[in-house]
Amino acid sequence: MYRTRAILLSGTALLASAGTAHADTGTTAGTTISNTASVSYTVNGNAQTTNSTTSSFVVDRKANFTVTLDQSGFTQATVNQQNVFVKFKVTNTTNGTQDFILDPDQQNISLGILPGTDNFDLTGLKAYVDKNGNGVYDPGVDTAEYIDELAPDASATVFLVGNVPNSQSINLAFTSMHVTIATGGTANSLGAALVATDLNLANADNTVDIVFADDDSDGAYAGDIARNGQGRAYGGVQVTASNVALSVTKTAKVISDGVNALLPKALPGAEVEYCFVVNNGTANTAASAVVLTDLIPANTTYVPGSISLGPVGILGACLLTGSTEDDDDSDSGEIDGYTASFNPTSKTVTMNIASVPGNTSVGALFHVKIN
Amino acid sequence: MSRYLMAALAATIAVPALANGPLTVESSMLTFQKRAAADGTTTVSLVRAAKAVPGDKVVMRLAYRNTGSVPIGNVVLSNPVPKGIAFRAPTAGSAPLEVSVDGQNFGALATLRVTGADGRPRAATTDDVTHVRWRIASPIAAGAQGQVSFEGLLK
Repeated sequence: MYRTRAILLSGTALLASAGTAHADTGTTAGTTISNTASVSYTVNGNAQTTNSTTSSFVVDRKANFTVTLDQSGFTQATVNQQNVFVKFKVTNTTNGTQDFILDPDQQNISLGILPGTDNFDLTGLKAYVDKNGNGVYDPGVDTAEYIDELAPDASATVFLVGNVPNSQSINLAFTSMHVTIATGGTANSLGAALVATDLNLANADNTVDIVFADDDSDGAYAGDIARNGQGRAYGGVQVTASNVALSVTKTAKVISDGVNALLPKALPGAEVEYCFVVNNGTANTAASAVVLTDLIPANTTYVPGSISLGPVGILGACLLTGSTEDDDDSDSGEIDGYTASFNPTSKTVTMNIASVPGNTSVGALFHVKIN
Repeated sequence: MSRYLMAALAATIAVPALANGPLTVESSMLTFQKRAAADGTTTVSLVRAAKAVPGDKVVMRLAYRNTGSVPIGNVVLSNPVPKGIAFRAPTAGSAPLEVSVDGQNFGALATLRVTGADGRPRAATTDDVTHVRWRIASPIAAGAQGQVSFEGLLK
């Protein structure tokens, strides 16, 4: 009890001197406004003076603030990336110093606030204040989970921080920063959320009432309403670079030896087919610009014009329907997404596949002759 | 918590009414309160300034009464615009008032000039008003009373 009194009394001196008006937020809450008039008059020709009584009231707290997304578009991230952050800005437009409670939320529906469709949630969602003011979340440095003592007209940058799951099929996570105005006045301690003073309550002139003046921060969307001491802004994380489970199997088969028609053997002069099957084991995500290079074995000769690419065949056939490629590295006129070349100097076959769709395979083959 | 604090503040600020002269002047500050009336309309009434936040209109009112037994003449009420309040306008129905931007020279606002931020004189605006003055033309008879007021904005 005694302790409380001491704090209050020291607060009185502060308030009494805090009569200055801030540029935008106005006279500080708790400031006493008082009015006294001086009066002169004559009674029976004798001049007299007096003063009026003094009336006074205390300026109430006009609780108001904004929370906005402080970045353009989505945060770009990769699968399994940790400490991905979305940046928001909270500006105190209250006529007093306030704390702010931060509450990071997942959003699952868009309703036009954010483009696209949410299909994953960040894990370990947290909110932190940008302590060192560098605009970037620094783990271990930006550790405050609420805004402490934000002065009138001042702003704080806050981060919504989370981890991207290790999943290949994710693209967009919608989030929002939900902010609630709280009692300020005690440093390094989060005050309780403000509660608007009941309008019908009998009010003493000399108490600081709380009047909510905050806007509906998201319009038609139901995440916030006006005059509730809360605000909400929306942002998201987009996974752009996905890793796909790409694998290649290589097989060799003698297709003719000039002697045995049915079961050809690897004799000198025999023709051997090398078959490559590129498999993308990730659903929904294509692997693009896949390049296969293969050095032809020693003591073999490349069969010109033998490179072919296409869908994988059945019953042991390398390709279902191959697209035969030329051997030069000029790819003008190539429109089927497959290109290839053979370099006779390095004896290297290069085969390019523009795209391997998710959960599918593409085949490629070429022939050599055994010397 | 704040109740205790404000009670302490009020105790230091409140000045007891001067009861020794025949003329008593009661100061009050009022704000506009909107209420939904039973017929669905909204009524606006003046109430004591209890709930006031920056941007609100505040009315400064002086109510005077001759408590003596002889008429009082040449009554001049001079009201410095309270700190934190910006003068806006005379209240409709109140006696005509004069304003001042220095506490010395009173007149109509249109006749007053102040030194602007660039050091050059300019026409005074309502924000520049520092004092409001009423001169009550006719003597106040014994027992008679009246009131004057002006409207301001809580900065």
